[in-house]
Amino acid sequence: MTLKFLTVSVLAISVTLTSCKESTETSKGETSEEVADTLNNTPAVAEKEQEVSYNLPSALQIAYVFKKSGAGFDATLPNNKANVSKYNTSHYKSAVNFGIYSADLSYCLFNKKYPESKDYLKACKETGSLLGLNQAFESGDLANRFDKNITNEDSVVKIVSNVQLKTDVMFEQNKQKHIAVIAFAGAWTESTYIASQVYLKEKNKKVLASLLEELLLATPIIKALKSHESSEPEITSLLSSIEKINSEFNAIAAVKTALEKDEEMDLTTMAVTDAEIKTISESVKALRTSMVD
Amino acid sequence: MKKIIKPLVSVVIILVCMSFQNGDVLCDAKTLKEKASKMLNPYKYDSSELTRILYKKKESVKEVEVLLFIGEKYRVVFEMEALPKQVEVRIYNKDKASKNRKMLFSSKDANADKKEFQFEVSKTRHIYVDYIIPPLEEGSYNGCAVFMVGYKSSFGK
Repeated sequence: MTLKFLTVSVLAISVTLTSCKESTETSKGETSEEVADTLNNTPAVAEKEQEVSYNLPSALQIAYVFKKSGAGFDATLPNNKANVSKYNTSHYKSAVNFGIYSADLSYCLFNKKYPESKDYLKACKETGSLLGLNQAFESGDLANRFDKNITNEDSVVKIVSNVQLKTDVMFEQNKQKHIAVIAFAGAWTESTYIASQVYLKEKNKKVLASLLEELLLATPIIKALKSHESSEPEITSLLSSIEKINSEFNAIAAVKTALEKDEEMDLTTMAVTDAEIKTISESVKALRTSMVD
Repeated sequence: MKKIIKPLVSVVIILVCMSFQNGDVLCDAKTLKEKASKMLNPYKYDSSELTRILYKKKESVKEVEVLLFIGEKYRVVFEMEALPKQVEVRIYNKDKASKNRKMLFSSKDANADKKEFQFEVSKTRHIYVDYIIPPLEEGSYNGCAVFMVGYKSSFGK
């Protein structure tokens, strides 16, 4: 048995050393080419690669900005917590609804609806467990810490921010970048759905500006989803729905002009008609319904 | 029981050895992000990005577009200790395809030896983080860089 153990160990070390050797040889090969380049008097011009990636904001940040616009709370808008059991049919369904519940949690949190926030935290934990995110929710007895700090608003936000950080780490460790992007698309859809419905009800100009800020995120979401299009079959359909919303947003006359001039948009003074917002809100609602049903 | 332990240890050795081959040993997302998060305080965590840096024959650039909300104040922190060879960080107001973009920050100006640094920004919807990756030298290997975005919150105050 000891001999077998030694054999396997030696084999493992040999495999590693062989691989290291190959890696060194590759490096040497490339260095030789570099020397050859120098000998041929080829200038070492920097090869600027077109490698771009996107860092998307969190659902918490979107909800914080939305709350600052003075928007009211409407308890009928967030997704039903009891729907969690419906979302174990695919990675896409779990991810998109994990994002939706994250947005609902953030919306309740910044409106100081703490019992509801706790329920949505639970919904996030349950959908998150379908994606292998258990560890992000299990450290340090989350529910108890949430209860203990419920009177300290800043601490409650810190607890949820910390869960967000742990979730991001788990996505990274599990090599689920595409799932993180799908989840963000879910969070964005829910946030935009809530913002558009609140605006249509309240007709508050600051809420409108916040809604338009959220709509500006459609372009980077499309770019991020395109870079993961082959990862999940449902991404293609998700992409076409967000592209439709984005074209409706870009068709707003004031947005169109700003885009043509490549100007930074001042969304607080932008002229937008109710009909334009209704068109967008219907598309957002249709996408959201397809996600939660 | 003893019969199981030895093969199990062997499998663990193989897996550990394999993990050293792909360069991921340096990219411990948890440790790097936890370190970065300590520099955020009192800003609240918003998002973060771990970028894998591959040194090539010639200088190369990796760009990350960071999305922000225009009325908010942000702190962006960088954790660069998992890079075997120094990479310059530049922050721009526009992407690398834009002709008239302005550089807002360079780690070269901050402190060449620093592995951790930060930058504060407001009144913009985008910043572009460019990693200027120097050419490969014999003995250099791959690594990763982390940045983290925090926002200033007045909630609960």
